[in-house]
Amino acid sequence: MPTTAPLPLLQGTVDVLILRTLAWAPMHGYAISRWIRDRAQDTLAVEDAALYQALHRLERKGLVVSEWGVSESGRRARTYALAEEGRAQLEREVRDLRRYFEALFLVLDTR
Amino acid sequence: MATRDPRRRFGFRLRTRDRIDRDVSDELAFHLAMVAAELEAEGWSPADAALEARRRFGDVPTTEAYCREQDLEAYKEHRRMALLADLRADVRVTLRALARSPGFTAVVLLTLALGIGANTAIFSVVNAVLLEPLPFAEPDRLVRVWHVNDEQGVTEGAVSEPDFLDWKQQTTRATSMGAFFHAPGLSGLDLTGDGAPERMQTALVGEGFFETLGTRALLGRTIGDEEQREGRNRVIVLSHDTWRARFSGDANIVGRTLQLDGESFQVIGVMPPHFTYPADETLSAWVPLSVFGPDDIGRARGARFQGVVARLAPGTTPEQLDAELDGVAARIAEENPGNRAWNRVQVASLRTSIVGEVTRPLLLIFGGVLVVLLITCANVAGLLLARATARQRELAVRSALGASRARLVRQLLTESVLLAVTGGALGTLLAIWLVQLVTAMPIGLPRADLVSVDTRVLGFAAALSLLAGVLFGVVPSLRATRSATNNVPRGGASGSVGQGTRLRNALVVAQVALAVMLVTGAALTTKSFARLQSVDLGFDPDQALFVELSVTDRYDTDVAKREYYQSVLDAVASVPGVQSVGAIRDLPTRGGGESGTVRVWGEDDEPSSRPLAAFHQVSSGYFGAMRIPLLRGRTFTTADRLDAPPVAIIDEELARRRFPGVDPTTKSLQFGTTEVPIVGVVASVRQLGATEAPTPTVYLHALQNFRSRMSIVARTTVDPLSLADAVRAAIWRVDERQTITSLSTLEQVVGRAVARPRLLASLFALFGALGLALGAIGVYGVLAFGVTERRREFGVRMALGASARRVQALVVRQGLVLAGLGLAIGAAGALALTRTLESMLFEMRGVDAATYAQVMAVVTVCALLASWLPARRATRIDPAEAMRAE
Repeated sequence: MPTTAPLPLLQGTVDVLILRTLAWAPMHGYAISRWIRDRAQDTLAVEDAALYQALHRLERKGLVVSEWGVSESGRRARTYALAEEGRAQLEREVRDLRRYFEALFLVLDTR
Repeated sequence: MATRDPRRRFGFRLRTRDRIDRDVSDELAFHLAMVAAELEAEGWSPADAALEARRRFGDVPTTEAYCREQDLEAYKEHRRMALLADLRADVRVTLRALARSPGFTAVVLLTLALGIGANTAIFSVVNAVLLEPLPFAEPDRLVRVWHVNDEQGVTEGAVSEPDFLDWKQQTTRATSMGAFFHAPGLSGLDLTGDGAPERMQTALVGEGFFETLGTRALLGRTIGDEEQREGRNRVIVLSHDTWRARFSGDANIVGRTLQLDGESFQVIGVMPPHFTYPADETLSAWVPLSVFGPDDIGRARGARFQGVVARLAPGTTPEQLDAELDGVAARIAEENPGNRAWNRVQVASLRTSIVGEVTRPLLLIFGGVLVVLLITCANVAGLLLARATARQRELAVRSALGASRARLVRQLLTESVLLAVTGGALGTLLAIWLVQLVTAMPIGLPRADLVSVDTRVLGFAAALSLLAGVLFGVVPSLRATRSATNNVPRGGASGSVGQGTRLRNALVVAQVALAVMLVTGAALTTKSFARLQSVDLGFDPDQALFVELSVTDRYDTDVAKREYYQSVLDAVASVPGVQSVGAIRDLPTRGGGESGTVRVWGEDDEPSSRPLAAFHQVSSGYFGAMRIPLLRGRTFTTADRLDAPPVAIIDEELARRRFPGVDPTTKSLQFGTTEVPIVGVVASVRQLGATEAPTPTVYLHALQNFRSRMSIVARTTVDPLSLADAVRAAIWRVDERQTITSLSTLEQVVGRAVARPRLLASLFALFGALGLALGAIGVYGVLAFGVTERRREFGVRMALGASARRVQALVVRQGLVLAGLGLAIGAAGALALTRTLESMLFEMRGVDAATYAQVMAVVTVCALLASWLPARRATRIDPAEAMRAE
């Protein structure tokens, strides 16, 4: 359980989070939000609205694909999966983020 | 079954929108339900859990809207890509299909290339001659004004200077008027000094000429009223072509001095390209009319030689100007006895005077070539129909596999459009080549220098190709796919093919009808031309060389001029191979001589009832060289010289009109106060060409009535052109600086005069032949197809004992029925065509039963020939085979 309030997301990171989640396995929107919450141990606050907007945007860009199926509970659910283009984009963004933050902390950690 | 779902065509967006909206709602609802379930598990009540889930979600409506928008965009993009992919697939499939039947593809491409190419070429001529604006300011306000003498039957008479000035002064309905004189080949000046001597075709312009036309000079200025004044009139304006060709486009040409006819002229301007008025095709320069004084060209009221152009005042119509000037001319006629019969004018738009003569023939040719294209399209449509019908099975399978009708139609249309566009591209190349041919032909087409394949013409070719593609593609596509999507694929000829046959039959009937019209046109134009050709011109055009030159002012005394004239003739006569030599100023079909009235010595008749005649100046050998028969008296001899008493020879036309029942050689003519006895009568010559009746003519001896222009005719015993170099050399032996204006044969000269009717006849003969060939192919195609279809039927008939001949007759009868229908419909069209052609052709008098009969016969024979091959094939059918098949 978090002791402090979850941090707001930095601009543009929802997309990379979604891509990473789907890299692990295809899942529907609700599952994505839960997965991120679990992995980040409630540190990151991902608003559901923003998540869904990002999902549809990513689909329009062709980075993810969706199809309608039946959930575990037997309900009609839209499952997303990572597209090839999305996989490449994920790698690029992770690499760029890593470099960015490494450089950032080089400065911040200066004694 | 492919039912017509209206939403599929017009409302797909609506249906897709609904689906998208629904999906987004469902998705979000699912998420909210899951979160609510989670909360309920934690102890929340269902109602509160739902609310809390919604609250935790964030802005639901905005998210919904955003997601829907994204999905819609994604859908549209996807569709666009799919369409492009479909198109690319269609093209690939089409190319493969066409490659698999190279014969079919080749025939279609060839016929399309011919049809579209010919149309494009003709259109480029129509474009240049009729559509391109004239090179004047506000050309539609410009008119030509002629003097009319109803008594003498002159409707486009030249105007004298005093008359022109009076008109100009007294008119209120024209803002300006200008005069000019231009006689092709006559009004010319010799340019010397700057390189090789050259004859410049010049137009003499009077007051107001350039002002009326409104065209500005490209360099320098044009000739204004100032330049008509004595002392200031040795100026010249060059045409664009001459400036480029002769003076290499020298930028400093304005101000340069040129030696023309031995005098110095200053260049004051250069006109823009494509401006050659009043010449039809080429002109070198313009000089002020006043350069030629009253001794060279008469200025009396009776000396009618000028052409007049006028610019209508704002709001005035040509009719109004005509009416006003009629009044002016009538007043002048009252006050001047010499003008008594010249009491009227004729006003016509300048455009009509330039292109009017060729407008109708040109449009006729354009119509003809369009008809050829129509027949071609009908042919291709028929071929495509047959092909589509043969692919019934393939299309049916495609349809069963899920292709929509629209998709199939689109694929078939791709084929037609691809064929059409490729055919069009090939046709355009052909057109470019044809245009080069046409512009090289000397048929005297006005504005011919503008004929080129420019953007508008290319646009026409492209539009025509697309139109053709859709035209011959649409119906076969729709027809073929209707059956394909309606029927379950099964072996053998299905009933739906019957409909296709009816359409194909209709197409063939239409082809035959159009072909009948073309063949009629061909027959009429050819007959007219033949009639023209058979007209006796009055002289013998075979085996004669023609040389034109002018005696320059270097020979300044009367004696010198005449001696030179004679020396040149003697020199040409001395060339081996030359039988006889003569000269005249205006060769027949190249000029009408000088016009004047005939006064008979001792007879006091009223001036304006004296007959108009053409006056020619000839050498003694002229009639002999031209083989113009002498009817009475004598021709000119060497005794008729400068110092001998003047004599005249008249032609039989003048003899008939002025001296009926009297021997003209007993009479004399009166020139001023001189009595000139008539010493002979010669046969009439059609001086103005085969289409014009002979004009009454008076011949004077050139040495007694000298004119500097010589059209020399040399009758030869060998091929005239083989002596060309020798004759030239002979002339140069007399004077090496003599410019030879032109050199050709009499035959070529005469040929040129009938070049247009010949072209018309040739083109129509070509169209007719094409129409017949295409029509025959159409008939053959439909019959051949019919034989294949009715294989079973023929097999049964023959098995039941029908002879080969009966089966053949069946097929031939079908062919004749189609042809007969086409003939009937075509006959109506042919009648209409004849009426249109009547006015354009030479001595064509309405309905000529013989011609029609001939046309019908030709078409019927072609139809019979076309039926023969399929008929033979029908008899080769093996009955057992036919019945067993399927």
